[in-house]
Amino acid sequence: MTRLLGHLRRTGLGLLSPSLLLLLLVFLIPVAIMVPLSFRPYLPGQGIGEGWTLANYTKLFTDAYYYEIVGRTIFLGLAVTLLTLVIGYPLAYFLARSRSRWRHWLTILVVFPLLLNLVVRTFGWMTLLANRGVINLALQDLGWIEQPIRLMFNFTGLLIGLTHIFLPFMVLVLIGVIQNIDRDLEDAAKVLGANWGTTFLKVTLPLSLPGIVSGSILVFVLSISALVTPRLLGGPTYKVMSTLIYDQFLQLLDWPAGSAMALMLTLIVLVLVFLSGVIARRFGMQGSVAQG
Amino acid sequence: MATATVTRPSLHIAPRLRRAGLGIWVVLVYAFLLAPVVVVVLASLSTTSYLTVPPEGITLRWFFEVLEDPGYVDAILFSLVLALIATAGSLLLGTAAAYALLRRAVPGGEAISALLMAPLVFPGVVVGVALLQFYSLIGLSATFAGLAFAHMVITIPYVVRAILASLAGTDSNLEDAACVLGANRLVAFAKVTLPLIRPGVVAGGLFSFIVSFDNVPVSIFLLGVRQTTLPVKIFTAIEYGVDPTIAAVSTMLIIVTGLFLIVAERWIGFHRFI
Amino acid sequence: MEPRNRALGEGAAADLRIERLRKTFGAVTAVDDVSIYVQHGEFVSLLGPSGCGKTTILRMIAGLIEPDSGAIVLAGEDITQRPVHRRNLGLVFQSYALFPHMSVFENVAFGLRRRPVAEDAIGRRVRAALDLVRLGAHTDRLPRQLSGGQQQRVALARAVVTEPRLLLLDEPLSNLDALLRDEMRVELKRLQEELRITTLFVTHDQAEALTLSDRIAVLSEGRLEQMGTPEAIYHSPATPFVAGFIGRSNLLDGIVVGQAEQGVRVRVGEGLELVAAASGPLRQGDRVQASLRHERIHLTEAPTPGMANSFPGRIVFRAFAGAVTQYVVQLAGGVELQVETPTAAGRLEREATVQVELAPEAVILLPAAVPAA
Repeated sequence: MTRLLGHLRRTGLGLLSPSLLLLLLVFLIPVAIMVPLSFRPYLPGQGIGEGWTLANYTKLFTDAYYYEIVGRTIFLGLAVTLLTLVIGYPLAYFLARSRSRWRHWLTILVVFPLLLNLVVRTFGWMTLLANRGVINLALQDLGWIEQPIRLMFNFTGLLIGLTHIFLPFMVLVLIGVIQNIDRDLEDAAKVLGANWGTTFLKVTLPLSLPGIVSGSILVFVLSISALVTPRLLGGPTYKVMSTLIYDQFLQLLDWPAGSAMALMLTLIVLVLVFLSGVIARRFGMQGSVAQG
Repeated sequence: MATATVTRPSLHIAPRLRRAGLGIWVVLVYAFLLAPVVVVVLASLSTTSYLTVPPEGITLRWFFEVLEDPGYVDAILFSLVLALIATAGSLLLGTAAAYALLRRAVPGGEAISALLMAPLVFPGVVVGVALLQFYSLIGLSATFAGLAFAHMVITIPYVVRAILASLAGTDSNLEDAACVLGANRLVAFAKVTLPLIRPGVVAGGLFSFIVSFDNVPVSIFLLGVRQTTLPVKIFTAIEYGVDPTIAAVSTMLIIVTGLFLIVAERWIGFHRFI
Repeated sequence: MEPRNRALGEGAAADLRIERLRKTFGAVTAVDDVSIYVQHGEFVSLLGPSGCGKTTILRMIAGLIEPDSGAIVLAGEDITQRPVHRRNLGLVFQSYALFPHMSVFENVAFGLRRRPVAEDAIGRRVRAALDLVRLGAHTDRLPRQLSGGQQQRVALARAVVTEPRLLLLDEPLSNLDALLRDEMRVELKRLQEELRITTLFVTHDQAEALTLSDRIAVLSEGRLEQMGTPEAIYHSPATPFVAGFIGRSNLLDGIVVGQAEQGVRVRVGEGLELVAAASGPLRQGDRVQASLRHERIHLTEAPTPGMANSFPGRIVFRAFAGAVTQYVVQLAGGVELQVETPTAAGRLEREATVQVELAPEAVILLPAAVPAA
């Protein structure tokens, strides 16, 4: 017995066991239990039926309603990732290379929206994007448009909202990446005759590529998992995978179908996180997406 | 070195333009990032009972309405208590876990570390629905305990990450020195290591509190009929229609979060942990 | 048992016996069957290059690492299984390991506070310890406000204030610059003699080990090569490693070819024969290594009568090194020797012909190096 205790103490497993137990019981096992449930049929009005079926999965690929939502979610994720990258890179470069004493506060300012309640942020966008929202009213007052532009309950609204939410993530990852690129390398390129553009394209960008990929995977994974923002900015009819899961569990009560969709979402996320880890190891970066 | 080089000012326009361009871009991005926040604050001050920005007149009445609404007050208190308990739990568990991962030779340490960090990228909605089912099987549905455990799961990664960062910057010899001087491992940790990782503990606790307080995807599936957290309440309120009280309570959250951040930066140099 | 410094209270120094200590880390054997005995009050150095296992041994004695096998016996008690915090030893780390968030006073008091010592006694003993290392005025400072030498002295005071029966020092002087190191060496020795603590000192610097120690344990690759007084180690190295590591010597492979009046004849190189005053049985045909210390080879103008080893040579290299001058001399048979002579003895130029002489006692014979497998 004392040998076991000694072993637990030495390897640190004793200290880890409460956390591991928590994650096992409240995370791994519940998710694992969804797997059998996803193969059960659902009988409307009666609940979960007996027997097994693949229908919950096959309809994700055969039923237009479903695969349109899946496709929309993925496309949205890609678009958000691209936008946050393009918008965020210059800001990240500015903050990473800045020598100003305000640098820390400016970085905190980027983080500030991140720590704000998601609902609050999304609410802010609703106020801005609604048909009678700030943007439309302002544009109408200026005489630039007659009718309000539909900026909510569609792809545009979700794109704007999600880009806003995840921009700080991308910026923070990129700051880390750019800071790791030795300034001397850029200076060396300039001394050797490269102008700013060439230096950027041939030195800075290639060296930040692993980090860009890692940050992109992070933002993509988070965007396709988002619930609150798509729900509020997309409304009850314009759905993505997360909001569909939400509806199925809380409104339609079709738990098997919801589980299948949830597991599919999980699979996509896990594959991408694994990929990100492979890339990180391949390029010798510290940790993976999850430790971003 | 005698000869001086003559620099011609006109050659430096390009870098200046570039810097100006970058500066403008940066300002625009910050404007984009902060626009919703500004809008919400402005909306909360409007005298009209429907939402207008810019506000027609300034009033603080919506704030008072929020504070006098028992529904809101209950939700705020509930969220507070939940966040405090979840944070306490994850600080305890997470600090122990981080210490073990860094200072002990844990078999399969990388896998365990990945598991602990998993809730960071795992879709919250999936965790929520998984627990909805699981809890209904084991009788923890709509219980505070179930909710608290769920929140601990999603906040532990932040604690572990912050403590690892702090711990990595301390010398492991210090604890050894304390032990040689007669302190057992626990006393050595408490008197030597803990004071030195205080920034990590504070940062981890802050992240954990905010993540728990703000959470919707997990909480919304696990709440019972008569309990609600503040963000879930706001969320469901918005689904019924927007009005300035929502803006008011949102502004309150904005102010509190802002204060937290300023204090954290001043006290422990929070920017090191993000 | 000698009385200890009264200001620090009473306490008896213990003797330490390490028996067949062994530790492997994965595929690497860090400590291979090492046994050492340290008498009470003795100052013993563990000397060797990095990776020889000396720090591992020290940490095992302190209890910070568990040995795979072997025993650690302090004053007759087996402490191998005892937890770190109950061994009552003193340990000075290479990095000092001063608690950065505590004042000098609190650092030194830390060990006392873990014991049932009254508050006023703590104050008295802390101040006495700091006076001992001559830092009495700095009790309220934080470690980062002190210089390297001062920090080291605080670490020392902290280690001895609890009156440990054994003091362990892990390369405590290696972080100091040369001048400070010499100063601290003297202070350390003075302190140890005053307190009469049994002391184990880990270092890779042979000069330190030679000046400070009562005895030295020379280690290489986890094994004890030789243990003895500084003089014994220096003049009579037992293995080629010790001969090469201590002092500077020329190592030549050779074969015993016969007897001579003053010892044995050894042929080294092509046709060069040395007379060595050997002890121990050596037969014709035995393969040996001859170790010739740089400073024991003399360069003269003409052969000295009666000198058994006297050969003509030519100076091929010269380097002035302050108090001594180093030469490389080429002898017949393709043998080159490095020689060190006091600068005051005169200066020899390159290409000069000299007579290279050394006494038979200066030729140390060692077992031939085992060829690598």
